[in-house]
Amino acid sequence: MLKINNLHATIGENEILRGLSLSINAGEVHAIMGPNGSGKSTLAQVIAGHADYVVTDGTVDYKNQDLLELEPEERAREGIFLGFQYPVEIPGVNNAYLLKAAVNAKRKHEGLDEIDAFEFLKLAKEKMAMLGMDPKFLNRGVNEGFSGGEKKRNEILQMAMLDPSLAILDETDSGLDIDALRAVAEGVNACRAPDRAILLVTHYQRLLDYIEPDHVHVLSEGRIVKSGDKSLALELEDKGYDWVKEAASA
Amino acid sequence: MSHPALNTDVLRSTVAALPNEALAASRTAALEHFVENGFPGTRHEDWKYTDLADVIDISRRWLDGGARTADVILPPESPLDTIEADWLVISNGRIDDGQLAQFDLPGVEITRRSENDAQEPFRWPLVDLNTALLEDGIHIRVTSDVTRPIGILVVDAADQAPVVSQVRIDVEVAANASAGFLEYHVSHGGADHYSNVVANLELADNARADYIRVQDRARHHCQTARLSVTLGRDAVLSHHGFDLGGKLVRNDLHIDIASPGSEALFDGLYIAGDDQHIDNHTRVDHRVGPAVSRQEYRGILKGKARCVWNGKAIVHEGADGTDADQANHNLLLSRKAEIDAKPELEIYTDDVKCSHGTTVGQLDKTALFYLRSRGLDELQATRILTHAFAAGIVNRVSNESLATLLSSKVEQRLGDLAESG
Repeated sequence: MLKINNLHATIGENEILRGLSLSINAGEVHAIMGPNGSGKSTLAQVIAGHADYVVTDGTVDYKNQDLLELEPEERAREGIFLGFQYPVEIPGVNNAYLLKAAVNAKRKHEGLDEIDAFEFLKLAKEKMAMLGMDPKFLNRGVNEGFSGGEKKRNEILQMAMLDPSLAILDETDSGLDIDALRAVAEGVNACRAPDRAILLVTHYQRLLDYIEPDHVHVLSEGRIVKSGDKSLALELEDKGYDWVKEAASA
Repeated sequence: MSHPALNTDVLRSTVAALPNEALAASRTAALEHFVENGFPGTRHEDWKYTDLADVIDISRRWLDGGARTADVILPPESPLDTIEADWLVISNGRIDDGQLAQFDLPGVEITRRSENDAQEPFRWPLVDLNTALLEDGIHIRVTSDVTRPIGILVVDAADQAPVVSQVRIDVEVAANASAGFLEYHVSHGGADHYSNVVANLELADNARADYIRVQDRARHHCQTARLSVTLGRDAVLSHHGFDLGGKLVRNDLHIDIASPGSEALFDGLYIAGDDQHIDNHTRVDHRVGPAVSRQEYRGILKGKARCVWNGKAIVHEGADGTDADQANHNLLLSRKAEIDAKPELEIYTDDVKCSHGTTVGQLDKTALFYLRSRGLDELQATRILTHAFAAGIVNRVSNESLATLLSSKVEQRLGDLAESG
């Protein structure tokens, strides 16, 4: 589904990604771990198409097309979803309005009619119940005055409504208490499917107790320095990132 | 910049020919005062950013063409049909007798200015011009709590030749009474028009007023407007101003706090594209304390639009316990749009709390990316964020039918703006 080869990306003067390669197949859950500043969030932003990051070398192939040629909205309509580390507060824009506009943008791209209002509401309430969200959140401004946990739940709600092929969740566990973490993890697990890939970007192993990855990669200085199965995450938790850095430079 | 002089002979004969003899003395006095001073020029500090050349040009052509007045005209679509209120109509400066005869709201007395004319001191040239050329004004007196809004529809139309019209609205809210007012300006017709509006709002002790002004004029029509408010003890004013149209628009809002315990809460939204010019000057005189004034104006500019926000707050000596806050936020959607934003605080006493904040900027890039990452294209994302910015002011309107109308007007206006250069 996603094939990244020798990706180099810069922001301003700084090169953050320095030859990153990664392949993700449908049905798989991958976790990218790494210390602060290793390039985890940059990778997520580059895949989603943030204009501040400039790709200087390498290729990204998504469903047999050149992903880097697509605008952010085209990527979204093609099934890429980025769950933001810091979801943006947009006062004055109704949460339900955005959800519906997003769902319809994708449906239009797929040649489908706009979603029926009743069907939309039913679906949204169903997903919210799963995430333990009060339906009142539908009528509030997007993330406006939401707590950290509420914002992350709202991201997962958007993901669940948009039914993506590739979901990238950037530090979805940060700032969550244990209940919120559980609810978010349940939401993600419910989205696991044979035709969907999930990429978890996380600093801590904690999230992986709830969402079991098929593959774990360690990112350091803009490159994947070690890959393995879920036991790698436990090893990292035990030995810390310095261990990988040393192994990588050795 | 100096302006060509108006034809004073025609001006004098026009004033002399106006109906309602009772106003003749005050008209003549005001006219002589106006002729002596003329329109305010850009050398005057308060008019630095707004050149009245267009207004003067329309006035000159109107006088040269014989200073014709037009009849009362109602546009095919008007807020009369959509907004729940008891309406008065002033068209091209003329009070609609039929509408006035129908007006029947318990607790509200309406009279004409010609029934109780009072001489005023000469302070502002545009008020002098208004007094001189005024056909008649309306006087609204509210004596109890009135729940249904009082609407004043100002319709200005010029089909063949340019027209100049004067509007005068005097409002009094008696002690302990409360009411909502809606001053709504529309215009139509292909010829140029200049409307000069003077409104006075007097709130007695413990009175409350919600005064909303909506300016939705044609893009070749000009307006100058002054709203003066005096607040009695514990009186509360809430005011919202919306400027959606017009070519050259200047609003002066002057609030005088002469009794303690009063509150003035006001805000405004201006949307300007192409070569529109919209100027909002506010001035609050805190003469005594404790009292509160809070204002927030928001602007959305595109094309070569130029807007002005000048918020002056004067805390006079002895006005202890004053709490004055002012904010002005602007979205500039093009490189050539220009905003002159100027907070002015003059404080002559110690025990005060004053703050101000002004921002000028583009749409938040992070928010734009967030929306695009959800599949919305750039144009749609821009429109949503711009509308949300405007909604921050629109949502403060508590009158539901008006809020709905304004919301769709703003949406429509922003849609036009998105498609304009």
